Amino acid sequence: MIVKTQDLTRIYQLGTSIISAVNRVNLEIRDASFVTILGPSGSGKTTLLNLIGLIDQPTSGKVYFRNQDVSLLTDKERRNIRLHSMGFVFQTFNLLPTLTTVENVELPLALAKISGQLQHKRAIELLTAVDLSHRLHHRPRELSMGEMQRVAIARALANDPCLILADEPTGELDTETGSEIIKLLVDLCQGKKTTVLLTTHDKKVAEVADERYYIQDGKLEYESS
Amino acid sequence: MFFREEIVVVAEGSWVVQAFPVIGENLPISTLEKVNQVEGVKTVVPMVVRFGYQVEAVIQLVPTNVSIGIPFGNLSVLIGQTPLKPGGTWPVVAQEEVVVGPSLALEWNFDAGSKIKVSSKHAYMNLTVSGILDTRSALLSRSIILPLRLAQQLSYGHTMFVNMIIAEPEYIDQQELIANRIEQEIPGLKALSINERNQIVEPLLSDIETWNLGLSSVLYLLSMILVIMVSTMNISERRRDFATLDAIGAPKSTIFRIVMIETALIGLLGGVLGVLLGSIAAVLIASIYTSIPLSLFFADLLAFISPFFLTKIITSTVVISSIAGILSAITALRINLPETLRAEY
Repeated sequence: MIVKTQDLTRIYQLGTSIISAVNRVNLEIRDASFVTILGPSGSGKTTLLNLIGLIDQPTSGKVYFRNQDVSLLTDKERRNIRLHSMGFVFQTFNLLPTLTTVENVELPLALAKISGQLQHKRAIELLTAVDLSHRLHHRPRELSMGEMQRVAIARALANDPCLILADEPTGELDTETGSEIIKLLVDLCQGKKTTVLLTTHDKKVAEVADERYYIQDGKLEYESS
Repeated sequence: MFFREEIVVVAEGSWVVQAFPVIGENLPISTLEKVNQVEGVKTVVPMVVRFGYQVEAVIQLVPTNVSIGIPFGNLSVLIGQTPLKPGGTWPVVAQEEVVVGPSLALEWNFDAGSKIKVSSKHAYMNLTVSGILDTRSALLSRSIILPLRLAQQLSYGHTMFVNMIIAEPEYIDQQELIANRIEQEIPGLKALSINERNQIVEPLLSDIETWNLGLSSVLYLLSMILVIMVSTMNISERRRDFATLDAIGAPKSTIFRIVMIETALIGLLGGVLGVLLGSIAAVLIASIYTSIPLSLFFADLLAFISPFFLTKIITSTVVISSIAGILSAITALRINLPETLRAEY
């Protein structure tokens, strides 16, 4: 089991109202599986992903990453897990605008203190794998939405993580480009046996998963295939 | 500073700035012999110095030119070892020749051999420029140095007066003593040693220094606030980038370092640009108020603004922006990660 949550809850207080963005979620994700969480906007998908990705702290409940209770980890250890064991794909790509395509992919490798030559070699390999070898020195603003998301996928895979967390990766893309991105993600992650946890509000996207969940008002339900 | 080892003798009530009487009475030529008779005085050199001011579009705070009359045999008392620019020769008095400063020469297009006309209410003269001084001294640069006799004719219409006497003491360490003796023995004279001349300008320099310190402290404080504001705004605009770095696991120290390097570079760039623009502005203002052509200032810019001063300014701007960068770096580290990643930009 790569990820396990136990009664995971995240409550926000907005003025006088209390919102349970994630409500007592129990989830188990097997190694090398492709898991999707389907849900409408505001259902708690991103909050759940942030909790599992160690970006946010739960109000109550536990997250176990590789059987380790992450609430016991220091900030440095959490960052270390995010850097070496997780890859993030955001809905709005979150590429650094001042860096070129290849530099964006080199970034996590540089943070992991991989040598300059290896960084470059690995970044080019990944960008070739996402079919962007002809766009190495372009800046994000010179790329299409689909190309930006491909760069984001290459960046997420840079440190060879065991878990990819993709938060609505097709949310900004048209249907055709969205399908290409999902296919790319499936192909790359299946080949490397990388676990993927993907959130979406698109049923078609959710269908590619080995396991599907549905979230509504912070409550998670398993959906049989 | 002129006449470090000599005593400057002027009429009582004269206003001496550094070494020259700007305002004051004249001295009868017979004073020269009286000063020479004072015990401990080795040599005396009579001089006539006139500052020319001009009131046109810009009121000149400093003289636009200086006429200095001195016996050419004693020229070294005034100009020391200053050479002439190539092509020039030292004047021959009988031929009514003069030497001029490089700034005046450039302004009026004088060369060795140029004919110039000099006039006053007392006299009109056709003179020949025998040479151009090769000097960086602001005063000599704007000077026309004439034989004493001609300067007296121009100033007074006769040779009965001078307006300053340079007295060289037999021993340098007796400068004060002999200056006092001159004042005691010859009524109506003011004899100023180097220390006395410094004391005249010291309060002024001290005031300038105090104002300078106060102004620069305020400016440093303002620039620090400005750098903090600019840097914090910059971070606020790029908070998603910092949130992304944070999300993908960048260590806090790395984020801190990025912000610090950025602000230090901003400081470096600001320092270099500030020094460049400040120097240009200073030179422009100085040129307007001294009439020294810009080309002369720019040719020797580093002689006016020392590399040490430049280094000090640039280093201090880097230090200030680095201190300001600490606050900005803390702002970058305090970004609410889930909220920033969720926000739409």
